[in-house]
Amino acid sequence: MGLRSYIITRILLTIPTLLLLLSMVFLFMRVLPGDPVYLHFEKKATPEQVEQMRHLLGLDKPLWTQYIDYLLGLVNFRYFLQHGYPNLGKSMQNYEPVGGQVFSAFPATLELAIYSMLIASVMGILLGVISSKSYNSVLDHLIRGLGTIAYAIPVFFLGIMFQLIFGVYLHWLPTGLRINPNVQPPAHITGLYTLDSLLEGNLFKFFESLKALLLPSLTLGIVLSGMFIRLTRTNMLETLRLDFVTAARARGLKESTVTYGYALRNAFLPILTMMGLQFAMLLGGAILTETTFSWPGLGSYIVSRINYRDYTAIQGAVVMFGLFVTLVSLVVDILYAYFDPRIRL
Amino acid sequence: MNEVKIKRSILARLIPRLTSLTKRGPSGWMIIVGIVIVSALVIMTVIGPYVSPHDPSAILVGPIRAPPSLQFPMGTNHLGQDMLSRVLCGGSIMLQVAAFSVLICFIIGVPIGLFSSYVGGFFDSACSLVIDALYAFPGLVIAIAIAAMLGPGVINMALSIAVVYIPSYFRIVRSQVLSIKELAYVEAARASGSKWYTILFRYIFPNVIPSIVVVVTINFADAILTAAGLTFIGLGVAVNIPDWGWDLTKGRELIASGTWWVITFPGIMIILLALGFTFIGEGLSELLNPKLQR
Amino acid sequence: MERAELTIVVLVLIGIIVSSGTMYYTATVVSNVSTVSDDMSTLRESMLNLTSTVRDLATITGTLAEAMGEFTQTLADLEARLAAIEASLAAKAKETLIVGTTDGVEATLDPAQAYDYFGWCILQQIAETLVSVKPGSISGTDFQPELAASWNSSTDGKTWDFTLRQGIMLPDGTEFNATHVKYSFDRAINLIPDIPDGAPANLGYDQIINYTEALSRYTVRFVLNDAFGPFLGIMACRSSAIVDPAYAPMDAQVNYTSGDPRGSTAAAFLAPYYLSRWERVGDKDIEIRLDKNPYYWNATSEYPKTKTIIFRFYRDFSTLRLAIEAGDIDMAFRHISAIDALDLEDNPNVEVWWGPPGAPLQMLCFQENHEPLNDSRVRKAIAAAINRTAVCATLFPGLANPTYSMIPPGMLGHTEAFTKLGDLNYTLTRSLLAELGYNETNKLEFDLWYESSGHYPLSAEQALMLKQQIEGSGVIEITLRPADWPSYRANRNAGIMDVFIYGWYPDYFDPDDYVFLYWASWLNLHYSTWSPAAYAEQVALYNEARYTSNTTLRVELYSQIEDISVEQCSIVPLYLMPPWAVTKPNVKGVVFDITQDMRYWLIYIGD
Repeated sequence: MGLRSYIITRILLTIPTLLLLLSMVFLFMRVLPGDPVYLHFEKKATPEQVEQMRHLLGLDKPLWTQYIDYLLGLVNFRYFLQHGYPNLGKSMQNYEPVGGQVFSAFPATLELAIYSMLIASVMGILLGVISSKSYNSVLDHLIRGLGTIAYAIPVFFLGIMFQLIFGVYLHWLPTGLRINPNVQPPAHITGLYTLDSLLEGNLFKFFESLKALLLPSLTLGIVLSGMFIRLTRTNMLETLRLDFVTAARARGLKESTVTYGYALRNAFLPILTMMGLQFAMLLGGAILTETTFSWPGLGSYIVSRINYRDYTAIQGAVVMFGLFVTLVSLVVDILYAYFDPRIRL
Repeated sequence: MNEVKIKRSILARLIPRLTSLTKRGPSGWMIIVGIVIVSALVIMTVIGPYVSPHDPSAILVGPIRAPPSLQFPMGTNHLGQDMLSRVLCGGSIMLQVAAFSVLICFIIGVPIGLFSSYVGGFFDSACSLVIDALYAFPGLVIAIAIAAMLGPGVINMALSIAVVYIPSYFRIVRSQVLSIKELAYVEAARASGSKWYTILFRYIFPNVIPSIVVVVTINFADAILTAAGLTFIGLGVAVNIPDWGWDLTKGRELIASGTWWVITFPGIMIILLALGFTFIGEGLSELLNPKLQR
Repeated sequence: MERAELTIVVLVLIGIIVSSGTMYYTATVVSNVSTVSDDMSTLRESMLNLTSTVRDLATITGTLAEAMGEFTQTLADLEARLAAIEASLAAKAKETLIVGTTDGVEATLDPAQAYDYFGWCILQQIAETLVSVKPGSISGTDFQPELAASWNSSTDGKTWDFTLRQGIMLPDGTEFNATHVKYSFDRAINLIPDIPDGAPANLGYDQIINYTEALSRYTVRFVLNDAFGPFLGIMACRSSAIVDPAYAPMDAQVNYTSGDPRGSTAAAFLAPYYLSRWERVGDKDIEIRLDKNPYYWNATSEYPKTKTIIFRFYRDFSTLRLAIEAGDIDMAFRHISAIDALDLEDNPNVEVWWGPPGAPLQMLCFQENHEPLNDSRVRKAIAAAINRTAVCATLFPGLANPTYSMIPPGMLGHTEAFTKLGDLNYTLTRSLLAELGYNETNKLEFDLWYESSGHYPLSAEQALMLKQQIEGSGVIEITLRPADWPSYRANRNAGIMDVFIYGWYPDYFDPDDYVFLYWASWLNLHYSTWSPAAYAEQVALYNEARYTSNTTLRVELYSQIEDISVEQCSIVPLYLMPPWAVTKPNVKGVVFDITQDMRYWLIYIGD
């Protein structure tokens, strides 16, 4: 099958998966116990008030109607063009459009994910390669051990250790928020503070946001790198035994060329897949990191919305996240197919 | 007489197995270290209530937030509870949650994976689609949502973690079965008229077990960390049950005022436990990886 | 290992060290304003020294005198400019107060809707009411005129007339007058059906107020349905703030709009501050900025003392504590944990402020539909076994105060009624329970519920302590049950919790808003079902106290209510929390009183 037909097939397959995902999220929210209506009334509520609240939250409509409204809202492109975010309904706690909330919270998580991924992949791949080249040596065991330990540490434990050491004792880095409270955040273009401050040409703000980013992305990055070290090492070990590597060596090529130009290149594909999936999965780890560092992203948004049983908000955030994961895995699959023709068969 | 024989034969089989592991190189050692760590912690948790110097939940057995000393080797927390006793007894909740979630995953995920991939066709595609959609859910979020709405408790926590892991079991089992299904001796068995369940459980399942065991250990490690995470958010068990996750959460609030011992010792325990399982899993996966055989 | 990898690793390490060093250096040099001004003053001193040395030289060398004179002149100019820069830097630093908090505006800044602490806090800074409670008040009932210069009520208490101040201008040039007041209250009542969970609905504006009338340009009349004692207390609430008709439609609540602070609030900017910036990300506030209101009517008061207030929002208590400790913010208010606050008392770089206890109130509730909790002896037995003092001393040392009355100390009607039951009074517990057949072998068993998602401070620890105290009597066995806030509330409504710890935060500071808790129907304790006589008596006393302004009579009535409450123990008051804030040492003017409000216009940065 050619690349084009593979891409088309793959994209077509995404649609039922997405539909399934959306429906599962909806059902999941409605089926679980917990009622947002009564959370609005600390004191006594008359039946009329409760009915009124139920109506305001859109919960008095039959389930089918709510489901159709939900799906239609998602594909409402006019709304999207008008507001800049999709129609994900209104929050059940403060009536604000969930799409706006989710879209405003997303860039913070994205920025954290990008930098964590950067740290994790550079550290992980490099250390994994080094470890695989010196198989069974003391260095190999050391790196493997550290990698495993990194993976086993609870994220918030590492986070608070870093906060304490670098934030309180050494006073080098801020312990929370995206930027120093004395500094005005850069003008919102993408929502990524580092990028926006560069676009604004403000080097001071760039460094301030980088400083605030360093601890949380280091925390997440170190925990993730454990997995990358292991994966790279395993894949490199496999690849290094293969015939073409021996052949390349026999031809007299430099060892570094063999390692990076031949072996790593071939071992890279599964690593790329894992990177793609991990990037999307970062939201899970980001929740705890965001709570520890007061990082206003999608993770802490979801956690606080759960405390209000704000169904539309949780739904909207999970949908956003699910879409993102599906998109990323689509891209990864296509890249994989591009590099490895065997997949397309 | 017979009983003695059986016991000896079990032991006789187990010990050479374990010692043979040491000859399998560093992966073997990894597995042994992992088993030692895990068993040590399990034993500590089981005998904890009997050997701990104080009742782990009793308040004001010592001064509030006292640093480690001879009388309280791991110090006391903000309620005056003895941290040593809490460390000795606090692992039971995590172990229970992890064990239950693995059990639930195993009972649900493995049969579905086996059956679905063996049958193949439309049913298999449908199952895979559903599982893929489930896989796209953010794991911790689902766990938090379920735990929040079902309420606290060991079973509820285990359930919420299990829901997140079933897709992994399904996938691993499915990929294994798909490759084993086409092997010659399975074909032969089918040709000679064996029933489907015989083929599935007698021929295919035993070959799937090694990869499942790897997933089980990773599942254990992750379940422990997720249980700690859930307690961190406030969805843990009642406060009168000693729990490392609870100490971790409270210790974090105390650390800014210089009380480092409340978070450190339970934290080390959690890391050790997760580490133990991870070592076993990693060692096993290396041993079983045919591509790494020289 | 290959040389290439080694080189790479070393280079990466060097790169990390260099870049972190550069960042650290850049940040330290560029970001610290006070360091710069310190350097400025050091520079100035050096300049002064240099000038005097130069002058000495000039007197010695005659020929150089002229050149020196020119040089001195240039130096003097430079000196003046430096002084000016230093002054403006110092002034700038004092003009802005940065406040860190873990609160946030829950929904809107519309007086017709807002019902959360922080929403009311911001509304207090930017919106004005007719009357307010004097800063520093302990009783909660000493009111001072704000937009109303004077007021009086009819003898039957059903009619209240307010005379407004004249000459107060809104930013758009219109003069504040009685029509604005009428509009605000009409709107609040009009929106009650559309906002069933808003403050006017909860406080019962539509039941208290019959109608509002603008008698003249500067006089407003409120005609009430019944004489209402705490009416001034309600008038001082943030839901009674005056709205701006140009921005507050009669039929709709005003929601947050990104990038449009004026359009995000219904309030008329008649207060010391106005809202100049309000940004949210996701569902949480990121920044709220208040600037000095140039049109504030009380210009002679010199309020606000600080020109700009910037609120920064943190997610959790530890990070907030670390921030104030590190000096990232000037003030931290709500919520640094009690342990952290006490720990910071020893820190010379920060100052900790405390206030009188008033709210929140923590209480123990009994679900009377669950036998045998319907028998008042059982409830009394449980209440007698508690030791409030120990809980306060262990969990909130020096902070929370054990309370033996539902009414806070200092407020009219406060008693020590529950001391009658004693603390750790196991003899009473055992004798009461023995009457019902409970003893060591046949223990009374029930569930004690607590809130687990942080809605109340240290609620799990409280529950643990109470459990151990009550079980110390030897005849009771307790199972602890946690629930997160939404589940806790749902359980409360469903009436499934045997015994639970609950909290109360008053809407206005009058015993009227505390005492009714003993039989509050929305707590669902079914007290009225099981003790109808006592309930009826308490309600009668309560209504009598509510509709009179005779304070001696009210004190007597509330005392009688509390006596009944001790006998019935429908709810047991436990402790009251005081407010506390942590600031840098140069922050002054923090005033705490019974209202738990933070009047930011009183705060200034001094030396």
